[in-house]
Amino acid sequence: MLCVYGTEHFYKLQGENKLTINRIERKYVPFAYAFLIPTIAVFLLFYLIPIVTVVFTSFTRWDGFNTPVFNGLTNYLRFFSQSSFLISLRNLLLWSLIAATLHVGFGVLVAFILFQKPKGWKAVRGVYMIPNIVSSAAMAMIFRFMFNNDFGFLNSMIRLVSPSFQVNWFFESPWAFIAITLTWLFYGAIITLIVLGDLMSIPSDLHDAARIDGATGFQAVLHIQLPLCRYAIGTSIILSITSRIAMYEAIALTTRGGPGDDTMNIPIILVKAITDFNYGLANAAAVFMFLMGIFTLWIVNRLFRMNNPIY
Amino acid sequence: MKRIMFLLILVVGVASVLIASGSQEVEDNGLVELVIPHYKAGQNVGGKFFLPQVERFNALYDGKYRIVIEELPQDGYQDKMKLLAQMNKLPALIEGVGDTVWFEEYMLANDRVQDLKPWLDAHPKVKELLLEDALSYNTRDGKVVSLPLALARPIGLFYNNTMIHPSRPIGEMTHKEFLDMLKDEKIAFMTSENAWTTNLFYTSLIAAEPGGVEMLQNGVENKIYDFTGPIWIHATTNLQYVLQNYASSNTLGAAYADAANSFMSRNSAVIPNGPWMVGDFAAGSEDKWSNGFSGDQVSGDVYPGNFAIANVRGYNWWIPNGLPEKELEAALAFLEFMMSPAELEAFMLVEGGVVPRLTPSEEFLVRQQENPILVDLATTINEETRLAPLFGDVVPGSIANMEFGKLLPKLIDGTFTPQQFCEELTRKAAETRL
Repeated sequence: MLCVYGTEHFYKLQGENKLTINRIERKYVPFAYAFLIPTIAVFLLFYLIPIVTVVFTSFTRWDGFNTPVFNGLTNYLRFFSQSSFLISLRNLLLWSLIAATLHVGFGVLVAFILFQKPKGWKAVRGVYMIPNIVSSAAMAMIFRFMFNNDFGFLNSMIRLVSPSFQVNWFFESPWAFIAITLTWLFYGAIITLIVLGDLMSIPSDLHDAARIDGATGFQAVLHIQLPLCRYAIGTSIILSITSRIAMYEAIALTTRGGPGDDTMNIPIILVKAITDFNYGLANAAAVFMFLMGIFTLWIVNRLFRMNNPIY
Repeated sequence: MKRIMFLLILVVGVASVLIASGSQEVEDNGLVELVIPHYKAGQNVGGKFFLPQVERFNALYDGKYRIVIEELPQDGYQDKMKLLAQMNKLPALIEGVGDTVWFEEYMLANDRVQDLKPWLDAHPKVKELLLEDALSYNTRDGKVVSLPLALARPIGLFYNNTMIHPSRPIGEMTHKEFLDMLKDEKIAFMTSENAWTTNLFYTSLIAAEPGGVEMLQNGVENKIYDFTGPIWIHATTNLQYVLQNYASSNTLGAAYADAANSFMSRNSAVIPNGPWMVGDFAAGSEDKWSNGFSGDQVSGDVYPGNFAIANVRGYNWWIPNGLPEKELEAALAFLEFMMSPAELEAFMLVEGGVVPRLTPSEEFLVRQQENPILVDLATTINEETRLAPLFGDVVPGSIANMEFGKLLPKLIDGTFTPQQFCEELTRKAAETRL
């Protein structure tokens, strides 16, 4: 349905599917388009044109200076045949699995605890948000110091129990993968806020009815609150997995994809291709990331039946 | 009224979008100001000489030209220049090219670099100081594409003479004798950033192989993509041995600052590095020293086998094509200033090196004696010393700046044999080809 002004009273419904506007209202149409022009311009300049350019140039041999030359699927074949691609894909699958389960699970758990409004819950909610307002780059540097073998906080703590402990977390296999995972695993404040918002909007009648029917607290969580937070949890999983697909700073500022290719991911391949001025290959990687994002959206939508109404 | 409002909204809306995506212009009040992003600033060791030099230039041309240095991390400097070139927003002066393939195939091929030949012809005092080899390398199709070097600055190593006591100059030893002399002392290596100190020592190991120097020298013109030859495998075998037995404890993940800190806290006895580091050993740098370290404990030498790392066949300062006339004048004035005898001598006193075509002043010779490390370095280089280009200069950019350092941990922990390491480098290098 066309909805230029966003309010239905500007329209008069004639017949079943036909919408018309009267003469006076027609005078306002140019205003509507005038308001839309900045948004459309931004969308075209910063979203649509770059996306189309990325897709188009992913089928070309392009160094960024000379005219792109069509080379079919060569960039995609080179991208898929890199050994670092397979490692990146494996890492992405593992990180996505961890994100969808442990990361989102932890965020949801915190939301359910905060929903009980224990003493000091507002302070906890505020503190829990702090890592989200620190830039990813700064967080990566903090973790680099925290995981340092010689003077890092983590190893210093472990050495209280095991004095001979020596692990260079970001630079040794298989610890580098774990260290990278730990840089984001417990920071689920956005998830907590989304789920907490949904929890707070559950009508109190449902809780009252459950209480009258003799439901325990755990049963209320399992049969009322969790199902009613389905959208929020699904959205959190989408956000969490797409963040893993686009994860760059946490890796670039710590392991740079190493040791070897242990912590490689698609954005690192993309940036490396740019460094070598191979924009065709870089854009093939970008298109792959874009498609992975769409696939994530589709599959989580299906799994969580996000198009079906909850209430 | 409504029509006016409509037009106003339209203009404001579209203008806000256009302004947001546009660029600012610098107001010209007669003073030409060049904003130069550079890594030789802040805590970077190169800033110790470069920033005061810029200030001297600004004072000399007060009211006419002014250079403002915008601090960049050294690690990302060349990548940043590539991106700025892509956006057509290069600064007026850029030092080095990092990736010669990019510079030659994109910048030079697209005529995006200022020809310095007319300027050099008009400034014979500058031209006569230039090293012949450097001038011929920088001359492409009759154009001089970057300022050729006048100064040769061979890179060797520094050692703590209270921790190790070489019985004769290190240059006269083999690598094996050098390592035996170290006993339990360590070398400050790195695996992070571009693994600079490791890169230097690896170059010395390659150079020590029969035919190694020639191979590296050829690599300056034709980048090396194949690392599976016997020179590479043997040098990598030696590197693995050195890293496993003589690397400082913080080598894994060490950036340059970590390596320097290891040396200046007596946790390692040797650091491979260039003469620009002597500033860190001079009075006034005590805040960088700890654990009983002192600058007077440091001696300088070339690598075992009498090798030093130097490459005058490279690109130095260059200017992008198409600068406004005033900016070009200012940029050229800065190049001329840097090439003045007084500035070259000042540079040598702080960062070492020699300008073979410059007759040194009396004052310079007296002041040079005040820095024994620079004298060490100057005297250890003799006619027998063989100069080799750096490993990082003869391989593709992403190999030098990223992959080499990333693969080192696997060489250290034995996951990769030297052969596997070389094969992996070869495979990574092949992926960089367009």
